[in-house]
Amino acid sequence: MEFHLEKISEYKYRIPKSYKPGMRVDGIIYAGNKLLESIKKDKAPEQVANVAFLPGIVNYSLAMPDIHWGYGFPIGGVAATDPEQGGVISPGGVGYDINCGVRLVKTDLVLEDLKGKIEKIVNVLYNDVPSGIGSKGQVKVSYQEEKKLLLNGAKWAVAQGFGVKEDLEYCEEFGAIDGADPDSVSERAFERGKPQAGTLGSGNHFLEVQVIEDIFDQTAAEVFGLRIGQIAVMIHSGSRGFGYQVCDDYVKVMGKCLSKYAIKVPDRQLACAPVTSPEAKAYIGAMRAAANYAWVNRQVLMYLVRESFGKVFSKSWQSLGMDLIYDVAHNIAKFEKYIIDGKEKVLCVHRKGATRAFGPGNPELPDRYRNIGQPVIIPGDMGTASYLLVGTKKAEQETFGSTCHGAGRLKSRSEAIRTVDYEGLIKELRQKGIEVRSSGKNTIVEEAPSAYKNIDDVIEVVTQAGLSKKVCKMRPLCVVKG
Amino acid sequence: MIDFEFIEHTADVGVRVYADTSEQLFKNCAEVLFGLILDDRPKPDIEETVVVEAEDIEELLITWLNELLSLFFAYRFLPVDYDIILEEREDYKVIKSRIKGANFDPYQNKIKMEIKAATYHDLKVEKNDSGWIAEVIFDV
Repeated sequence: MEFHLEKISEYKYRIPKSYKPGMRVDGIIYAGNKLLESIKKDKAPEQVANVAFLPGIVNYSLAMPDIHWGYGFPIGGVAATDPEQGGVISPGGVGYDINCGVRLVKTDLVLEDLKGKIEKIVNVLYNDVPSGIGSKGQVKVSYQEEKKLLLNGAKWAVAQGFGVKEDLEYCEEFGAIDGADPDSVSERAFERGKPQAGTLGSGNHFLEVQVIEDIFDQTAAEVFGLRIGQIAVMIHSGSRGFGYQVCDDYVKVMGKCLSKYAIKVPDRQLACAPVTSPEAKAYIGAMRAAANYAWVNRQVLMYLVRESFGKVFSKSWQSLGMDLIYDVAHNIAKFEKYIIDGKEKVLCVHRKGATRAFGPGNPELPDRYRNIGQPVIIPGDMGTASYLLVGTKKAEQETFGSTCHGAGRLKSRSEAIRTVDYEGLIKELRQKGIEVRSSGKNTIVEEAPSAYKNIDDVIEVVTQAGLSKKVCKMRPLCVVKG
Repeated sequence: MIDFEFIEHTADVGVRVYADTSEQLFKNCAEVLFGLILDDRPKPDIEETVVVEAEDIEELLITWLNELLSLFFAYRFLPVDYDIILEEREDYKVIKSRIKGANFDPYQNKIKMEIKAATYHDLKVEKNDSGWIAEVIFDV
């Protein structure tokens, strides 16, 4: 059955709150003609409607054009709640992989420098960066040290030698969100997290070496130090087992809060509690600890990538110009200020598969990016392209400073396994000049380009709708999949 | 062979599991879950008692499956054989399970799939004329 969506402008569609009794606000989905058909057939619009039930939700239940069916929230969902109006926080609006995110590292290398070396690079990355299911990391910490890691995030990693202090400047929250509370984290989460700091993980997590193929905004590209033909590296990973356990622990806690605080939601995965409640406060402290764990993880992964490049080119990473462009979180809840009905409010913004996209002038941005807006890193599938965008003032006004986070899945994993031939896919990628390594054939097949929406269509919607601006497009050269 | 089938889900893995009794359903769901994670079933040589309580049978199933997942990923306990007693009252359900298993390190040995958690989304636990059915979506 197809979902009926009301078109309200070229790139915006509405689910009126009359669609289901209990919806407190309308649902708004950003989409274009090309993406609409697959969205309407998916269960994701129903999930947009379900999110509109959350107490204290402000303006709309929003969805980005890479929206697809998740659990509880749709992937690509954004919802802000007002704590002063009984607004809630929901672990399902953040997800199990707390602070799953992406970072982009530039190099001073150009395509010519990689001639005949792509295979060597991908093999060194595959060998030296722990990836794949249940892999073990190099970061070994005691319980007391893990507490410091959770409080200080990427700052802890830099203090341990996994990078330089300039890296911190170019991370969302400067690589460590305040208010992490290790005492709100279960022993299980500590145990589950211990072996996994500094590991890529599996599923859609990856490392990708890319070449800048196109530049759309010369001024912003110059600020980032990027030009056509230059090589960059993208890292996609999150908080690993640590975050999964934190989420699981608090979905359980918040399940009990539904009756305690008389909250009605149509899906128990949307379990939540008022932001001001003790249960929510504990979750926020634990979620922030997991977010910091993820920033450590990506910082250590970047360190390993820098070391790998150093090995291949027999040069230090500094002389290869491997500076961090930016690091973004795309599964997180944050407290941010917005003007609602003429009044400044601090809202709890859930981004579940959505990226913060602050515009020029925002005080959260590092000085160097203050005039161009926040870098927004959008990975596509491994056979096509990825994008670097910048956030806009319009995103701050319309979507609580949020935009898309990727291409968005189109096919289920089992459909991909049924319809994609592994050997054929590897051959097709090689013909495009893309080398792939993974510990499992199924991971590659599940992540085949045909399992994803066309990234160009997603980017067209967010740029035409004014939520982000294109800076450059990157083409993959080699990929390490988890 | 456990009687089960996959449910199509865009991003995650859904399963529909069948059984004759509610106890068997819990056991089958656990076996399907760990069948997704790995093929090996080493000889069990340790035993764990896992007791989980909930207000309804759906919550009980998810809590139990997630308990087993975290015992595996946090403490490397791979469940192999299950001895289950399910007690049900109006608003209180409890599962008392004695599980024989083996020490298995998922960070040293190759596994097929890392499952983050069993979710409540589209969850079903039902009894009909031919037995019990559960539908569970796992976040992968």
